[in-house]
Amino acid sequence: MGRQIVHRLLVSFPALLGVLFLCFCLLQVVPADPAMIIAGPDAKAETIAAIRNELGLDRPIPIQFIEYIGRLLRGDLGRSIISNKMVSEELALTIGPTVELMLGAMLLAVPCGLALGTLAAVRRGSIVDRLIMAVSVAGVSMPVFFIGLILIQYVGFKWGLLPFTGRTGPVWEGGLPSLILPALTLGLVLIGPIARLTRTAVLEVLGADFVRTARAKGLRETVVIIHHALRNALIPVVTLIGLQAAFLLGGAVVTETMFSWPGVGRLAVGAIVSSDFPTAQGAIMILAIAFLTINLLVDVLYVYLDPRVQRS
Amino acid sequence: MSVETLDTVVRTEETGILSRSGVLRRLARDKVAAVAALLLVLIALAAVFAPVVAPYDPYLTDLTKVMQPPSAEHWFGTDNTGRDILSRVIFGTRNTLMLGLVGVLIGGLLGGVLGILAAFYPRADGWIMRLVDVMLAFPAILIGLAVAAVAGAGLGAVVIALVVATVPDVARVARGAAVGIMGQEFMEAGRAVGVSDRTLIWRYLTLNCISTIFVFLTLRFGQIILIGSALGFLGMGAQPPTAELGMMAAQGRDFLFMAPHIATIPSCAIFVIVLAANLLGDALRDVLDPRLQQ
Repeated sequence: MGRQIVHRLLVSFPALLGVLFLCFCLLQVVPADPAMIIAGPDAKAETIAAIRNELGLDRPIPIQFIEYIGRLLRGDLGRSIISNKMVSEELALTIGPTVELMLGAMLLAVPCGLALGTLAAVRRGSIVDRLIMAVSVAGVSMPVFFIGLILIQYVGFKWGLLPFTGRTGPVWEGGLPSLILPALTLGLVLIGPIARLTRTAVLEVLGADFVRTARAKGLRETVVIIHHALRNALIPVVTLIGLQAAFLLGGAVVTETMFSWPGVGRLAVGAIVSSDFPTAQGAIMILAIAFLTINLLVDVLYVYLDPRVQRS
Repeated sequence: MSVETLDTVVRTEETGILSRSGVLRRLARDKVAAVAALLLVLIALAAVFAPVVAPYDPYLTDLTKVMQPPSAEHWFGTDNTGRDILSRVIFGTRNTLMLGLVGVLIGGLLGGVLGILAAFYPRADGWIMRLVDVMLAFPAILIGLAVAAVAGAGLGAVVIALVVATVPDVARVARGAAVGIMGQEFMEAGRAVGVSDRTLIWRYLTLNCISTIFVFLTLRFGQIILIGSALGFLGMGAQPPTAELGMMAAQGRDFLFMAPHIATIPSCAIFVIVLAANLLGDALRDVLDPRLQQ
């Protein structure tokens, strides 16, 4: 198992380099020349050249890239043009809320999706099955912001049940009410795909020999479904959750913007709107690295769940 | 065997998958798919003939009729500057559909070429697939944000994001299909009688992969529209006053408590389009290419 993980890490390394290089390019193609901005509008050519030399902007691109990585390793992402704070500090403040939002959404979506999908598979062809599948197709087709708009309008505004702007604090310090609506928005769009795939996977497993054996042994139906069928059906479902990571991330950006949730996604969108390139670059990089990490974790979980992968 | 007879062998293989009339007949039997297809055709027609269909000018503001709820005069009501929402939704659908189509077509073309080349030239396979992996490391929304950060928000940023979102998955599907066809006897036979690589790739390989790629793109279309409208919602796409469904929803958000219909109607329009596309895609997959079921 250890070898598998090392191998997977080696494979994701080029992807990580690609991500870093693209983020580096993002800083390179910025329309304004940083040296000219620092030197001011009527600086002499020599002054600009001196500043360029000082900032290392006259060195070849590959060397600049290596220097950029060196700075990253030291945690230096530059300063925000707007607030003049260190980008790394701004990111440190926003990562927590984003992780909290994503975990909240997953905690909601995964059990619901698994339960609905299994129920649909067990009651295959019945009205329950058709209803669950219809709802999940509708869920897959729903824009994230549509669900958010409805929840804000009704639960937040009309019925006044829950807060719908900002975050009052971490969950363990009474921040739970402000987390519920954003997490619900993000989680609801994930239930559909998870339920759909769980149904297919459980149906496939229910036809397998070992399920027939388990039934023939006289095991109770719930034991057969949960221990034999669902456990094996989890394997494709875990992969799907990995595939949904892109969806989760994109959805998180939209959700954070809608609910003024102080996360990385909202930071990125705000920075882009105000042309704050260092902040935008840092936020996009963190989101891309988060995406790679989720996929890595999913692969590790996959190896753990399916012993057959280990042997091959 | 001469090249001509080989060609007929290849062709029969094609028509086996692509016999259009059979497909249409089988699709028509599926009631849900038929309704979805009809709905999509109507939406597409309304989008194409938007200037004729729309009852009002989508950009004409009328400050005497601000934020009116739906009525006989304005079916979907009016927005915060008194513009007719039905007309804006029709024009917005035009822009949203256009974005999705352009993204899917360019992405499908690039991805298809990459996947087929990867299958045909084993030497390039590793490199192409590694490139695809790197592309997969960037979720579409992030690409949209990155492009908008560099080049400024606009329809271009969204199209690039949608293309990048389409290419890697299509490349994988196309490669998978092409590898299967590479193992068929007619490929070997074609090589043996000295058919050029170009003809092999075009006539033998590509034509046989097209239906698989087509089905996959239909399945992806809904998702692509969702990504495009999410970028529009974030303000990275079309800029006001251009009507685009995602952006219209974002603008209506400011008036959500006074006039919820301004934001909800465009969102609902996206939902209907994507739902119809997904239902049709599912049905098409079942009919054309059951292998893609997973």
